[in-house]
Amino acid sequence: MLECSTTPPKNEFDRSKHITYLKRGLTLLSRQYEISKERRKTWIDWIYAQQILPNEKNPEINEKICGFRGSPFSGLPFDVNGSRESRLPFDAANLAMTYTALTSLLILGDDLSRVNRFSIINSLKYLQKDDGSFTHTYQGMESDMRFLYCAVVVSYILNDFSGIDVEKAIEYIKNSQSYDYGIGQGPGEESHGGSTYCAISSLYILNKLDIGLLSKEQTLFWLISRQETGFQGRANKPPDTCYSFWIGAALKILNKFELIDYEQNHDFLLQTQSKFGGFSKWVNYFPDVMHTYFGIAGFSLMNEPGFLELDPAINISKKAKENLFKNCKFHKQN
Amino acid sequence: MTLEAEVWNDITPIPQDDGPDPLAPIAYNPEYAKAMGYFRAVAQKDERSERALDLTEQIIEHNPAHYTIWRYRQQILFFLNKNLYEELDFVDEQIKYNPKNYQLWHHRQIIVEKLMDVSRELPFINNVLNDDAKNYHAWTYRQWVIKTFNLWEGELEFIDKYLDKDVRNNSAWNQRYFAIFFNPNKPTDDFLAQEINYVIEKIKLAPNNISPWNYIKGVIAKSDKDIDILEGLCKEVEEQKIISPHALGCLVDIHESRARNGSATDKAEGIKICITLAEKHDTIRKNYWEYRKVTLASI
Repeated sequence: MLECSTTPPKNEFDRSKHITYLKRGLTLLSRQYEISKERRKTWIDWIYAQQILPNEKNPEINEKICGFRGSPFSGLPFDVNGSRESRLPFDAANLAMTYTALTSLLILGDDLSRVNRFSIINSLKYLQKDDGSFTHTYQGMESDMRFLYCAVVVSYILNDFSGIDVEKAIEYIKNSQSYDYGIGQGPGEESHGGSTYCAISSLYILNKLDIGLLSKEQTLFWLISRQETGFQGRANKPPDTCYSFWIGAALKILNKFELIDYEQNHDFLLQTQSKFGGFSKWVNYFPDVMHTYFGIAGFSLMNEPGFLELDPAINISKKAKENLFKNCKFHKQN
Repeated sequence: MTLEAEVWNDITPIPQDDGPDPLAPIAYNPEYAKAMGYFRAVAQKDERSERALDLTEQIIEHNPAHYTIWRYRQQILFFLNKNLYEELDFVDEQIKYNPKNYQLWHHRQIIVEKLMDVSRELPFINNVLNDDAKNYHAWTYRQWVIKTFNLWEGELEFIDKYLDKDVRNNSAWNQRYFAIFFNPNKPTDDFLAQEINYVIEKIKLAPNNISPWNYIKGVIAKSDKDIDILEGLCKEVEEQKIISPHALGCLVDIHESRARNGSATDKAEGIKICITLAEKHDTIRKNYWEYRKVTLASI
């Protein structure tokens, strides 16, 4: 095992070190500054620059690839207005990145006014497979519960579910429930905390928890059985920081979060806290940005002081979600 | 591996334009950034050549999760009519370093679909499982291989070996369920009765192992039997002075189902076990067992 620290972890949440650690991730530099309004605007612009929009002359050219790219990998000149063409035959948006772009925009306080709702919703039709699952990108190789969840949240944020065949999506979720009532990435696959979260969140947002879960009580038992100290993602696997979120948020959605052992979860998370800031997957392991986020999200789910409350299904703070209803035209009109 | 200038001197690389103030910029390795510059230029021309194939290999070595590059590579391989067995060699090698990379597994699947030759697949998967018997990708791919090439026969014997090595391997238990219930030949009641006995023996080996407890309930639900049949096993575990929260939890399920059919003694017994679990034997799930107790009491 890779050991990076043998000193005992600090016994409380080390706020300032985590902030420093995360800022380093955002900027590559350890400069200390507040994130100013101007800087937020340049970041918002950067996200919009990744948007693939319909071609004005001939929308059919790129209607299957609309949405957000994760990076400017295609080599087009940087343009805050996004791109209406693609020069690479493989250029396409990615559904997970569209989800990330929309949630990041909400977190940064944007009103989503430059998001092309129609083109994104329309592109979803090309990403759903016959079995109900979604691929991440047009003609992509992978399709599973992760991207089904992304499609549902994107539709929720844009307040338009017409791009999803909901019945097929529910069928896929039902078929992916295992004999132990956890949920796998697809039919026949092993129950897993990540895919169980994706499925439960999707059902909740679609308002289909009652018909989508074959047995809510048995799924609850599967979820609650994952607590060892922190939470494991599968039966007989070691606990891992990120499952404090995946399992915790799924329980929160089912209104059963209060059944967990808070103290043991809290203590496990503190053990995975690095002395340099950040959280790692396991105790005495290297921290990374993903597990740092999920560690913090784990504390937030327990309503510990100093954390904003999380919306467990969308996976952003409730404060960021308020922005959606207050300022975003897709929701204001209704 | 480095990019040889003479191979590329007719190509002007296209750099990535990150804009004036990128959000969370990536400190790309210069070799990778250079290779991506050539990729943009040749992909734009839809060039499908040996040098483009080499280029994809270099990019993949830096960033094996780059699904766009994998797709480009597939197109070049098929266009040039490359020897796809050599491509399987390439994946064999890459997977050693990236056994949990989604793209590698999907690439393998596409190559095998094209070859329609499954002879190397099970040995390949077994190699990966030898290093990590719970690799989710390997089991997912194994299920695809079995379904696509109708390789159901022998799968149960294969799983037996894995469960003999580690009876706590939940992935192997899941695969057992797949091998029996996703098989187009549906199991008979006799077969399921034998299967239940097999699992009972495995539970006796390690009564605190949750995997077979979950599995046996799944098999019972598919059979003509009822969860009641596990009562004897639960009592046997108890008599051996082994404290198993799973055996006790199973008894709660049994008593609850009888209580729902009107049995007051089962209701009382179930409540008693919930209290023991909450206070002594499964204290991390104290709140859960109290919740079950309340549910039972309200029947």
